[in-house]
Amino acid sequence: MPTYRTATEAETIALGEQLARELPPRGVVLLIGNLGAGKTTLAKGIAKGRAAIDPDDVSSPTFTLIHEYSRTGDRFSSPVYHIDLYRLDEPRQVATLGLEELFEKDALVLIEWGERFPQLMPAERTEIRLRALENDEREIAITTLI
Amino acid sequence: MRILGIESSCDETAASVVEDGERVLSSIVASQMTTHGKYGGVVPELASREHLRAIVPVVREALAQSATRLEDLSAIAVTVGPGLVGSLLVGLTYAKSLSFARSIPLIAINHIEGHIHAVVLEAKRAGTPVQYPALALVVSGGHTHLFEVREGFHYRLLGKTRDDAAGEAFDKVAKLLGYPYPGGPVIDRLAPHGDPSAVRFTFAKMKGNALDFSFSGLKTAVLRWVEAHGMADEIAARRALQRAFPEAAIEQWLAASPPRTLDLLASFQHAVIHELLTRAAACAQEIDAQTLIVSGGVACNSGLRAAAQAARLPYPVLFPTPGLSTDNAAMIAAAAFPKLYRRDFAELDLTAQANLTLA
Repeated sequence: MPTYRTATEAETIALGEQLARELPPRGVVLLIGNLGAGKTTLAKGIAKGRAAIDPDDVSSPTFTLIHEYSRTGDRFSSPVYHIDLYRLDEPRQVATLGLEELFEKDALVLIEWGERFPQLMPAERTEIRLRALENDEREIAITTLI
Repeated sequence: MRILGIESSCDETAASVVEDGERVLSSIVASQMTTHGKYGGVVPELASREHLRAIVPVVREALAQSATRLEDLSAIAVTVGPGLVGSLLVGLTYAKSLSFARSIPLIAINHIEGHIHAVVLEAKRAGTPVQYPALALVVSGGHTHLFEVREGFHYRLLGKTRDDAAGEAFDKVAKLLGYPYPGGPVIDRLAPHGDPSAVRFTFAKMKGNALDFSFSGLKTAVLRWVEAHGMADEIAARRALQRAFPEAAIEQWLAASPPRTLDLLASFQHAVIHELLTRAAACAQEIDAQTLIVSGGVACNSGLRAAAQAARLPYPVLFPTPGLSTDNAAMIAAAAFPKLYRRDFAELDLTAQANLTLA
């Protein structure tokens, strides 16, 4: 289980880019960590690495629930979905989002707060745990579950 | 000329009839706030189901209140995005069906452009039309954008949030402190009881586009402050209050808020307002704006309105009346008039666009 440390937001984004190359081509990645742990920041790097999206254009999906990022002009590249279940409280609310449909796609699906609904997440997945340390440092640990 | 506007992009099912781009003959909003309040946010499944239940009576009421028959309509305007697809589809499908059945032209409207037109309409109505170029700050739960608006409604995006929207920061701070959803109104009403200079929150200078916003750091700073000040008991007490009294009055929230917490809320709100106004003013200066438009749900914030007046900016700062600040359909109908005049109609294969951008 590789564990990384980043000292700044820019380093977290750079780590995301690196992970974009190392993560499986498709599948579900849970981003796990408290408010302010750096989940959306890491997602910025992953979207940059996978879909060539400017990190400044990757914002929080809390209100909108699902954001989709694709390489512009390339309809054959697989998209990145960035999902945030923060404001949903009950499994039946999540169930109606149609996540299974996204899980079937040839896409990388990043989910924030998905660990609160373990029964709705696929067994085969990657978990990335983020923790804020002192002075803006972050500890980022990656586990693959099969 | 009359346009029927239909809006269902998020929380509200709304319909409105607007005449000549300036007279709101009716504006009906079926708020789902009570349904969503229980769940701490907009819930997609509930949202589309509630929209389905509300759409027919809401449109009927908008037509009846304005004494408008379908044959009086020059067009039907509908929100196509951005928003939740399931919610958008309800309004869109209804509008398309009505357009097809009665051969009334259909006009597709961007929700964010609607927010800008809420102010354009009211300014026109008041006999003091918006002067261009204008700067529009659209600020809500899902949006924090700065647009240049040129004559003829040409838009240029000048700045946006890179992480959390301003309204989202209000909601998240309220939730972490045990206050109800939506967070904006309750924080706005409690903030005047605290000292806005008690806690100093700072914003990092933006790299890249200096006009972009970032509210994630502020949210994290509030969280760290709460963790460092042993507030778990009072937060638990407020969550219990929420469960016991889902409709608790502001006096109850005030009684459940120690002075230190009120200071925190006041300081947080002050920081958000200061950030919004500072960047908007810098932006307005850059484009030599003749008017500053502030619209979207956060435009209801009384602290923001007061600070904008107190800033004595060298151009008028226009807010919509509260009814037109939050989501409504009058703004959608208003935004459709320029398109009606240039016969910019939509085809019936129009689809909902969850990620639609304005510029």
